[in-house]
Amino acid sequence: MNEKNKKKLLKDQRILLAIVIVAIIVVVAAINPKFIAVKNLITILQQISVTGILTMAMSMLLIGGGIDLSMGNLMVLSGVTMAQLLSLGYGVGAAVLAGVAVGVLCGVFNGAVIALSKCIPLIITLGTSQIFYGLALTISGGRIMSFGGAFNFIGKTKLFDVFPVMLFVLAAMILLSYVIMNYTKYGRRVTAMGGNERNAYLSGINIVKYKIILYGIAGFFCSVAAIVFSSRIDSITANAGGGYETNALTAAIIGGVTFDGGKGTVSGAFLGCILMGVISNAMNILQVETYIQTIVTGAIIVCAVVLSNYNNRKRA
Amino acid sequence: MNVDYAGQKPILEMKDIKKEFSGVYALSGITFDLYKGEIHCLCGENGAGKSTLMKVLSGAYRPSGGKICFEGKEYDTLTPALSKELGVNIVYQENDLVPSMSVTENIYVGNEASKKFGFIDYKKMRGETMAQMKDLGIELNPDTKIEDLSVADQQFVKILKALSVEPRILIMDEPTSMFNVEDAAKVLKLTRKITERGIAIIYISHFLNEVVQIADRVTIIRDGAVVNTYRNEHRDISISTITKDMVGRPVDTFYKKEKCRIGEVVLEVKDLQLTKDSPKVSFQVRQGEILGFSGMVGAGRTEIVRALTGADPKYGGHIYIRGREVQIKNPSDSIAQGFAHITEDRQKLGLMLGGSVLENTTIIGLRSKIKGWFVNIKKHPPLVEGIIRDLHVKTPSIWTEAIYLSGGNQQKVVLAKWLYADQEIYIFDEPTRGIDVNAKAEFYKQMSALTAQGKCIIMISSDMPELISMSDRVLVIRDGAVDGELSGEQINEHEIIKRALGVKKHE
Repeated sequence: MNEKNKKKLLKDQRILLAIVIVAIIVVVAAINPKFIAVKNLITILQQISVTGILTMAMSMLLIGGGIDLSMGNLMVLSGVTMAQLLSLGYGVGAAVLAGVAVGVLCGVFNGAVIALSKCIPLIITLGTSQIFYGLALTISGGRIMSFGGAFNFIGKTKLFDVFPVMLFVLAAMILLSYVIMNYTKYGRRVTAMGGNERNAYLSGINIVKYKIILYGIAGFFCSVAAIVFSSRIDSITANAGGGYETNALTAAIIGGVTFDGGKGTVSGAFLGCILMGVISNAMNILQVETYIQTIVTGAIIVCAVVLSNYNNRKRA
Repeated sequence: MNVDYAGQKPILEMKDIKKEFSGVYALSGITFDLYKGEIHCLCGENGAGKSTLMKVLSGAYRPSGGKICFEGKEYDTLTPALSKELGVNIVYQENDLVPSMSVTENIYVGNEASKKFGFIDYKKMRGETMAQMKDLGIELNPDTKIEDLSVADQQFVKILKALSVEPRILIMDEPTSMFNVEDAAKVLKLTRKITERGIAIIYISHFLNEVVQIADRVTIIRDGAVVNTYRNEHRDISISTITKDMVGRPVDTFYKKEKCRIGEVVLEVKDLQLTKDSPKVSFQVRQGEILGFSGMVGAGRTEIVRALTGADPKYGGHIYIRGREVQIKNPSDSIAQGFAHITEDRQKLGLMLGGSVLENTTIIGLRSKIKGWFVNIKKHPPLVEGIIRDLHVKTPSIWTEAIYLSGGNQQKVVLAKWLYADQEIYIFDEPTRGIDVNAKAEFYKQMSALTAQGKCIIMISSDMPELISMSDRVLVIRDGAVDGELSGEQINEHEIIKRALGVKKHE
């Protein structure tokens, strides 16, 4: 590897993130070796699987110049729909199909409003978030809804007695978003759209269509996240989604995706997600008080964003 | 104003200024001085070090070596605040005005006149603005909002704003790059007038005939060093001397389109109407032909091609390609029909600045070159590298982000994008605005090559020499309508300007 490539490698936020993650693991493991037990590492991945899937969706949106703050409630609406159908006696297949359909349709709705009205997605999705939350409340009647063990095979079953099935779902979603963004015409064009929308339009890209599809894909990811979410605790409430979109957004930004669009990678975003998971788990292991944990998490987010911004600006 | 070089000391001396960026010298020892009341032009290609030198002077960069002498007082480095205090001010190339505020408000932004208790004294500001404008011969309503002004008038406001702090040195960076001939002349006149107040002006411009007209002295820099400084009291320095110094060898500033066979009609536009009330526009372009679009800025040339390529909606009209009528509703349609549209604003419309040269180049070619849904752009470098090399784009690699390239090279990437897509009808909208001589020559060469391949070109240009030497025919556009067609011997500056201004034949 020549000098130039080395330099480029160091500039890549993903390498920096990996170094930070490894450093944290080493330090915490030195204090408490339980931290690097295979069981605990898998627990960490389990803990971040819902946020991880949403982070993939959020980073695709951000790279495409959009954002979706309705994700948490969209996920819950999809989950509540599935639970409702299960309680009415429908099969798992039908419930999943309906849940995914709700996710995609709500995403398409977000995308259509944003693309056709040309309004700021931040505000539009804040509004639709309330709509989805209200719908979820209406369907659930505000109750806790059980899944009757329908998704146990995802949450509880372990392949080779070690790897829970949900990790494969997570891996599949990461791979899917990676392929979409890097190896399809669609993904390259979404990146171009986020980089400079007017240029993309003049380059023959149908902005309205591409945005609607993009939000639709994000909706699909939300419904998959809903399945994983429900599989862990076998139940869902309309209130359960709060905060997930901010976590996904934070992870994506820490992972080097920018608000301006056109920049960043889904793989980086996932590393951002891992970093957040590792920190939170480490604090549990080190028995840091919950209130303090919240403060530390916030501080780390601020530091990470300031650093990544500094890093980006230095390059410009 | 005649500057007395022998009898006075320079107001500014920059001695052996060096600036190093991670091992590379952007400035390798530049010595530059400036006298009260003179216009000192700074010429050089993009990337020669003009901006870096000006950033040292404005305090944005700390020089790695050398001294800055201001009226005898020596400094190792300036800060933005110190530079301002010493009286250095800049009229930026980019627009830094607030569109929704009035002329007066813009001039005094950050420097408002105030009454008791910190209230803003509008009356005083307005009065001073009026007095300034009267003195400089500018006719503008001080209450007009910036967004309602023409680009030229906005430039005057920028200059007024720079003058409001009573600078002693004024840096003007490409002040006329957005203008047509008429407005540029006004700016030149105004610049002269400013020197009468004893203000020294550093004038940066790519328009060398402008430099010859206005400069008291001309300094040419190349690769971060001064090549020559010429006195120009008699306005007699030759353009070829300057260009030779700029590029290190003699260049053809007036590249001629190579003769090639003009074939059948490729594009025919019939009765194209932008809105219900706008005039109907009709024209034809033939294979191997360059059709020039001439006219004043704001005459509607860009609007016509934008409607043609579907970038903006149109009201009516017919478009025929090789005799067959086609429907174009959006840019996607026009690309499918073989149009290439090299837009006028590369940064806003032509590029994704955060994207790599490779990403930018392949974005359109994706549609026709790659079948199916999947693509791996990493496999494309050989083809792209070929185009980038042919165009002599100066970039460390095709993975470099477009934002790091100079203006001329960015513009070449925009062209590379359309060459990669391999279209039939190329529309160039002000292709060489604000780019250096070498990059310009590259564009002319490519246009010639395209026509030799049998493609056809529509070129919108406000650069008269370029329009005259490159076009086979010229359409003069005025108030959104075709106001005449010139070909052969008729294509000359006099004829074009006469028609663009709408001077009737019998007058």
